[in-house]
Amino acid sequence: MYSEALRLEDIHLSYRGLIGTSFSKPRPLGFFESGIQPGEQELISGANLVVQKGETICIGGGSGQGKSALLRVISGLARPNAGKIYIFGEYIPPERLTALNVAKRQVGLVFQNGALISNLRVRDNIALPLRYHKVGTPAEIEDKVRMAMDLMRVRDYADFFPHMLSVGMQKRVAIARSWAMGPQLLLMDEPTAGLDNYNRRNLLPLIDNMRTLFKTTIIIVTHDLMVAKELGCKITFLANKQLTEPRYFDEWLHGDTAISKELFRDLRTSG
Amino acid sequence: MEVQTNDKKLTLVGKKFHALGMFLLRRKAGQEIALFVRAFMSLFSKSRSFKTDSRNIILQTFFTGVEIFPILFVVATLFGTVVIIEVITMMGKMGFDDVVGGVMVVVIIRELGPILTAFLIAGRSGSSLTTYIGGMVINSEVDALATMGVDPIRYLVMPGLIGGAIATFIMNIMFSTSAICAGFVMTKVAIALTGNAINLQLTWDYLSTEILKAMTLTDFLFIVVKPLVFGCIITTNACYQAMNIPRDIRQVPKATGKSVIQSFFYIVCADVFLSLFYFIDYFNEISKII
Repeated sequence: MYSEALRLEDIHLSYRGLIGTSFSKPRPLGFFESGIQPGEQELISGANLVVQKGETICIGGGSGQGKSALLRVISGLARPNAGKIYIFGEYIPPERLTALNVAKRQVGLVFQNGALISNLRVRDNIALPLRYHKVGTPAEIEDKVRMAMDLMRVRDYADFFPHMLSVGMQKRVAIARSWAMGPQLLLMDEPTAGLDNYNRRNLLPLIDNMRTLFKTTIIIVTHDLMVAKELGCKITFLANKQLTEPRYFDEWLHGDTAISKELFRDLRTSG
Repeated sequence: MEVQTNDKKLTLVGKKFHALGMFLLRRKAGQEIALFVRAFMSLFSKSRSFKTDSRNIILQTFFTGVEIFPILFVVATLFGTVVIIEVITMMGKMGFDDVVGGVMVVVIIRELGPILTAFLIAGRSGSSLTTYIGGMVINSEVDALATMGVDPIRYLVMPGLIGGAIATFIMNIMFSTSAICAGFVMTKVAIALTGNAINLQLTWDYLSTEILKAMTLTDFLFIVVKPLVFGCIITTNACYQAMNIPRDIRQVPKATGKSVIQSFFYIVCADVFLSLFYFIDYFNEISKII
């Protein structure tokens, strides 16, 4: 039994790799034609990361550094030009690195904008993957959906369409949808962005619950460094196209590196 | 990468085969055929469930077929009226009374019926399928589906494909039927309104027997085959264009236009291709006479 949830080795990603999801393109096409071309601009070059099972880790960094792109690589939506990805100790060869294959290994992704299916009600949105994968009888699915809605406190909005909900609410529904699938590794893209202080304070204990109760490994991409402090997890920064060594919030705060000087300047002065 | 190193281990035949496959897959037509095959095969995937699948397909059939019926009926009726009046007057004048049924079968049932139906469906359902899936791509809903392990090809393309093909088939029969029946009624109305100025003696018995006499076994076969092929072409093309949209909202209308125009083009190409079978039929008959 491997204790690692995720291992990234020397990931290279160019801007070309970000284009489209190309579900219409046959898989061999992208695979045989990938590889680094000379003179190509890279977004991420040589990122390494190891996440243990049950660990929570935050990925920080300035905007435009490719934080979300890194999550897209992990979830199989973007194709890295080079590098190896291990999920739960299992090497995923590049020809298998598609979103569907990664999702099969119980990896969930919460999008920045929620990405709810707009013609389905909240209830059906949460139930969609459960029904698709036939996780139990209809009654069991109904129970699970109700539980997920209770957990994220969106039960009162069960019969609403996504466009009727606020951004924060949509994000909560998206988290509920990911949670209902019972993921072992949950990737979250800016879970606190667009939430007001009240909801943000409500959301963090929920994330905390999830990792203590369900032993979910969580990777959070955020520019909100206080999240890491409140969750008490390690932070790694995406700087100079590479991931830094993960460290705890306080270590960064009192550290002497360029990153901690730049990004923690405000926090230092305010105490 | 791994397989590129394995590439060197391939034998000569293997290399040629690989090159051929990659050549086909790089072409748009090859990719569309691959999408069609994947969508069709996903019908038998592990997550199939008869209830939801049939519901999705019936919804799509309803959307593609039933809602287009009014406009299709009007077009078919007017088209049928024109064809009936023109064919009977012209052929009567030239003394080709015995081929009236044959011409009508060729024009309405064999050629223009399926094509006009396919054009109407491409313009309405094909374009709406493209905008619908394209919008989902832009909102990264398709990505979300994939990260939940829901195959977008199965969830979005497959019902559109099967439903579209079934709806095109039904609508083609509707088109031919209403072109002949409602066209006949409209012709009678036109005759009555103009006081038979065009001097046309037309009865239902005459029209129906002429048409039924002229129908052959190939016609019956192609009533089924043609619309199914056209329906598959329209929906596959629409979904392919939609899935290829990069994250740019301005690409959605472009893709929609492309989907409709290319569907027209592919339909006409497929029609010519299918008509080759009729030519073989003709040649057989001609060689029999000689």
